[in-house]
Amino acid sequence: MKTLFTRRLLIATAALACLGGQAQAQNIRIGFQAPLTGPAASDGKTALQGAQLAVEQINAAGGIKGRPLELVVLDDQTQPAQAVPIANKFIGDGIKAVISGSYSGPTRAAAGVFQEAKIPYISAYAIHPDIVRAGNYVFRTSFMGEVQGRAAAKLIADIMKKKRVTMVNVNNDFGQALSAGMKDAAPKLGLQLVSEYNFGMGDRQFGSIVASVKKDDPEVVYVSGYFFNGGPLVAQLRAGGVTAPIVGTEGFDTVNFVQIAKEAAEGVIITTSLDRDTTDPVMKKFIDDYKKRFNVGAEMVAASTHTAVNVLAEAIKKVGIDDTAKLRDAIAATKNMPSAAGTITFNNSREVYKAAQIQVIKGGEFKRFAVIDDPVLLAPPNY
Amino acid sequence: MYYLDLLVIGLVWGCTYAMMALGLTLVYGLLRILHVAQATVFTLGAYAGLLVANGTGSLALAFAAAIGAACLAGVVIYRWVYEPVLDKPPFVPLVASIGLLIAMEDGFRLVFGPYGLSFTNNPWFATMLGVAGIQINLVQAVLVITAVLSIGVLAWVASSTRLGVGLRATVTDPAMAESFGVNRVQVRTATFLVASALAGVSGLLVGMLNNLVEPGMGGLIAYKGLAIIVLGGLGSVSGTLLASILFGLIESFGTVMLDQVMDRDAVAFLFMLLMLLVRPQGLLGKAR
Repeated sequence: MKTLFTRRLLIATAALACLGGQAQAQNIRIGFQAPLTGPAASDGKTALQGAQLAVEQINAAGGIKGRPLELVVLDDQTQPAQAVPIANKFIGDGIKAVISGSYSGPTRAAAGVFQEAKIPYISAYAIHPDIVRAGNYVFRTSFMGEVQGRAAAKLIADIMKKKRVTMVNVNNDFGQALSAGMKDAAPKLGLQLVSEYNFGMGDRQFGSIVASVKKDDPEVVYVSGYFFNGGPLVAQLRAGGVTAPIVGTEGFDTVNFVQIAKEAAEGVIITTSLDRDTTDPVMKKFIDDYKKRFNVGAEMVAASTHTAVNVLAEAIKKVGIDDTAKLRDAIAATKNMPSAAGTITFNNSREVYKAAQIQVIKGGEFKRFAVIDDPVLLAPPNY
Repeated sequence: MYYLDLLVIGLVWGCTYAMMALGLTLVYGLLRILHVAQATVFTLGAYAGLLVANGTGSLALAFAAAIGAACLAGVVIYRWVYEPVLDKPPFVPLVASIGLLIAMEDGFRLVFGPYGLSFTNNPWFATMLGVAGIQINLVQAVLVITAVLSIGVLAWVASSTRLGVGLRATVTDPAMAESFGVNRVQVRTATFLVASALAGVSGLLVGMLNNLVEPGMGGLIAYKGLAIIVLGGLGSVSGTLLASILFGLIESFGTVMLDQVMDRDAVAFLFMLLMLLVRPQGLLGKAR
């Protein structure tokens, strides 16, 4: 009797183990590269939250054809040198598609690796042009840097009706791409670029740049940078007596910017992809859900990763995740897909056209200022 | 006017660097250790000060908290990290210090979050002073005054008090000093207390100046501070001061004149490299 019982127990355990193993094999695993440590750790956390919300919502609605979606997260430390080994780790662990929730530097480094391995790679918000040029397996669901720079030029010239601009850029992939766009569109729109100053990602003190901006006396100051640069910079500009309007970029699209700059943030206008006053149902739903889930206002970075997860999930729904070539084609065929960060259609170069959301900070909150919907000016390149 | 602006900014930055680097020089002079973990003390002072300022609304309490936390951390680091390895080759305490710095930076991120914290009420940050037609922020003015005061007080202590004389004797010849009755432990503890207090105060002031306290903010000390004390001449307090001011000035002018060509740090370090090629012992160091 003992033997029979033991045998039944063994069979039951084995059956359970098989089922458990089966359940693991059930999950659809997608990779998520995020800067959880290093200088971008704050945006990394926000990016992860946006992706997690998307995964939770997809799974609550039944997953992908009944199978739950699982996010496999690796930290690239905001270092391009770290992005390559973790890309190889994703590939080695059998991950068939990866989303980058990281900055341009690390994303650009990893893109080449994924292209080589024919693994679809979606850049959620990294804007450097060379990322997508790594090859036909790399996609971008947000604006290219140059396109955003051009949108800012149109904002300053046609909407704000100003002419003389001083640019203050962060001297990395992000800042250089944005300033290239501004320089490209400025002469066509009648803007005069009076001067240009650069700073490093780690800088927090801009005294000499402030003194120089005062001397140049522009009509508008165009700042590219992240909130941890822009916050102190804007505060120091205002404190130094610069009253010209300040136009920023999506790097400022976070409540942290307002917390640092305090009163100086009032009236700052930014180009971004998230419209807090949107009437678009999908974008609005994202904003409300994010607030409910994380108790803080939604930000561009979170909207972008949310979008990227949904784009990938839709493609997986169509063709499954086993054949990466088919998956790549399905992603490339995404057309008019509404998402938290705008309507997604990839062009032949796997870039998207979206309207640029222009937001202004009023009373410490982001509000709609304008929407720039110009498919000609903001067309991503086709190469 | 513009150049006067740049000059004043350079001096303010120089004083900031001086406060951050002074502690490094003091520890090196006494123990021949490059106290890279000073950056940890700096950041800890900033966090402690910010939390108390946001919690109680009192800047005085915030400074007390910053100094208190920093001194405690400094002494703990000496007792637990440096003292056990003092008899080993000099790179051992250095590696330990670097390890502590890296671990603590992530420690701060884990405890306080990656976003960086801001002051809810930062009155000095919003106040501007007009001095000879130049606008400077009240926090910057306080930094300069504090730096000048600290250096003055230290100079007086070094020359006129028993402790100060004992410190100088220990730096020059430890064995002889001890045979004259200078208490080694007392001198070391005092040095770490002073160095840490300086780091804590400057941490809080820099946090107020940027209105941002982040886990990685001490990184500046770790690399620039070391460059400054090397440029000034390892172990020389006046050398550190001179080098700090020079760094501040070079950065202030360099960032607007050379920023298209090189990054702000690159300008400062290039200057340091050139100086060291000409004078390897540093500006005021003793030639060997």
